[in-house]
Amino acid sequence: MSAVPPVALIATEGGTRRLAAVDDAAAALGLHVGQKAADAAALVPDLVTADHDPEGDRAALEILCDWCVRFSPAVALDGLDGLLLDVEGVSHLWGGEAAMLDDLLDRLARWGAPARGAIADTPGAAWALARYAPDRTIAPPGGQAPLLAPLPVAALRLDEAAQAQLPRLGLFQVSQLLALPRAQLAKRFGLGAVMRIDQALGAAREALAFRRPATPWFDRLAFFEPISALSDLERVTGDICALLCARLEAEGQGARRFELVFHRLDGKDQPVRAGLSRPGRDAVRIAKLLKPKLDTVDPGFGIEIVTLWAADVEPLSVAQRSLDADGGISLEEGLAPLVDRLINRLGEDRVWRADPYQSHVPERSVRRAAPLDPAPETGWDPDRPRPSRLLRRPEAIEVLAKLPDDPPVQFRWRGKSRRVRLAEGPERIGQEWWRKAFDEVGPGKVRDYYRVEDEAGERFWIFRAGLYADGEKVPKWWLHGLFG
Amino acid sequence: MPGAKPALSALRAQIAALEAGTRTPPPVLPFGDPRLDGCFPAGGLQRGGWHEVGGSGLEEETGAAPAAFAALLLRPLAAKGAVVWVMRRDDLHAPGLMGLGFPVERLIQVRARDEAEVLSVLEDALATVGVAAAIGEAEAPDLKAGRRLQLACERRGSTGVLLRRRPYGGPAGPRGSNSREVSGSAAQTRWRIAAAPSQPPPGEPGLGPPRWRVELERCRGGRPGAWILEQAEAADGPHPFRLVSQLADHDVAAGEPELRLVG
Repeated sequence: MSAVPPVALIATEGGTRRLAAVDDAAAALGLHVGQKAADAAALVPDLVTADHDPEGDRAALEILCDWCVRFSPAVALDGLDGLLLDVEGVSHLWGGEAAMLDDLLDRLARWGAPARGAIADTPGAAWALARYAPDRTIAPPGGQAPLLAPLPVAALRLDEAAQAQLPRLGLFQVSQLLALPRAQLAKRFGLGAVMRIDQALGAAREALAFRRPATPWFDRLAFFEPISALSDLERVTGDICALLCARLEAEGQGARRFELVFHRLDGKDQPVRAGLSRPGRDAVRIAKLLKPKLDTVDPGFGIEIVTLWAADVEPLSVAQRSLDADGGISLEEGLAPLVDRLINRLGEDRVWRADPYQSHVPERSVRRAAPLDPAPETGWDPDRPRPSRLLRRPEAIEVLAKLPDDPPVQFRWRGKSRRVRLAEGPERIGQEWWRKAFDEVGPGKVRDYYRVEDEAGERFWIFRAGLYADGEKVPKWWLHGLFG
Repeated sequence: MPGAKPALSALRAQIAALEAGTRTPPPVLPFGDPRLDGCFPAGGLQRGGWHEVGGSGLEEETGAAPAAFAALLLRPLAAKGAVVWVMRRDDLHAPGLMGLGFPVERLIQVRARDEAEVLSVLEDALATVGVAAAIGEAEAPDLKAGRRLQLACERRGSTGVLLRRRPYGGPAGPRGSNSREVSGSAAQTRWRIAAAPSQPPPGEPGLGPPRWRVELERCRGGRPGAWILEQAEAADGPHPFRLVSQLADHDVAAGEPELRLVG
């Protein structure tokens, strides 16, 4: 018996426990995916099993995917167990494709995630070579066909029906399939099969869903020695911002969101984000927004790579320096940095401008808008006086009124009794019946608002909820706001 | 040492230039009534400084009358730039400010998490180009915070207002406590605002334009005063307030309601 016991994952399908995955040792002992767990345990008594956790696998793969960003900005998840990296134009950073692939796979192996890899012109060919060719195969440009030829037909990612049918027809190798006329292939195995072959050979394009949209607005700094001091992180932040912003400026672009990721030695990523209220590319300003957040970064044993991502990139004209100080200050220099500072410090929901919203229910008549968005054309109705302070929830008051429909002559709020000297109203406000069920918004839920002033001159906004109907239920009075 | 004299005077001139650079004669915000403007050293509310506005009684907590007063006070400034309003509780109702003639579209509201954050955001806003005025709702800044606010105001000549407001449900502060005296020393002025009974136009039902009983408790380089002010109608001119009556002496005036209660 080997020192490492065979391992298998078990999934429950329709009440039967079956093997969902087996490792090399288990496969060598004749176990295979889909076998009943009981059979497997009988064959290999010392089989180590664990429950299959597809969601956990997926999450782990996503983490790995994010980690791979250090190699290339364009990484896509591939099925349940693969990653596709677009390495065009980045391999020179490692001194060639072979060195890059070695670095990637060696790192994975060191962390106990052994992987196979291959590099080819097309995602289809790379998929096939990584799984069925010798490990670390690198297809020369345009040379994937001879490498694919000896592989089994499973390497072509055909659908299940086609894959089951091919061996029955004596077709085991890709080369056999390639030798057949295309028309026959399409007729017998469907257009999908032809498309897969074309994708592998580069005759058809394949769209990959990259985890992050491919963007040119990405920069990366690698260090000879891992860094960990806060002052170093700050300096690096400034450097990488300058790098990316210089490119943004050269292309006349600005970005709204920036994500700075510190890639640690142990493979963990530490992202730091900053947003701008309007597109910008001022490296100093962006670095200033990022720097206060650096103390949340845990450098661990050190950080070896830093990447900076710019998102929401849009054209931005060249900044105009204001010639005279009095002639109006541009938004870029004044308010926008302030709003950015505040939003990055407090959070987006804590900085706003109140915009009118088409609703007559007072608490819904205000919409929070981003402070620097263009102001709306319409305002609130000036003929409907509103308080300067609106209580978040109305407070119950005790009221004395001469007649049921009259404004009160006296009320008590927060333990203090007030005589009403002047009153104005009512302003009848119904509930928005289209939003709720009828019994919640019917006539019983109408509010009659009064503006009242007490003897000291304090002005209040009070309302009676509902109407005096049969005398069964006395409507309640509430205080909703203060005019001041 | 005759050789040293020119050098010394050159240095003095340099220092004078530096000081003049930071302290240009501050522009003022006149009320348009000599009975009010006379209390201020420069004939109006000084810009480039901060002012403390508080309420009394329940208003210390709700802060409605001081907020309305501050909004009206800063209304002329809002035409020149944005106004930042920093608060801890977001009960400020923009339609109400619009009713006071305040340009709500220039108002940026910020909700801070605690008192220290209110003060630091206020300071940041005051020192920013493009911000004409900033209002912060805080309990009591200490001397250092007050001084920082003052420096921030001087940098860009913006005007700050500190609305003194107790946190909701907080203990009622002792009236005239030490903290009030201390905080007042850094502010240009200190105001106490209370509502005053309004006078509807004769023959018209309902409420008249809002009135406040405004006490200027402290004014640096000027003298205190107390008035009844009313929100001015558009026809009354560019100033936001109309003086209804001058209260004879603000100490006596302050004691008046107390007396009535006893009687």
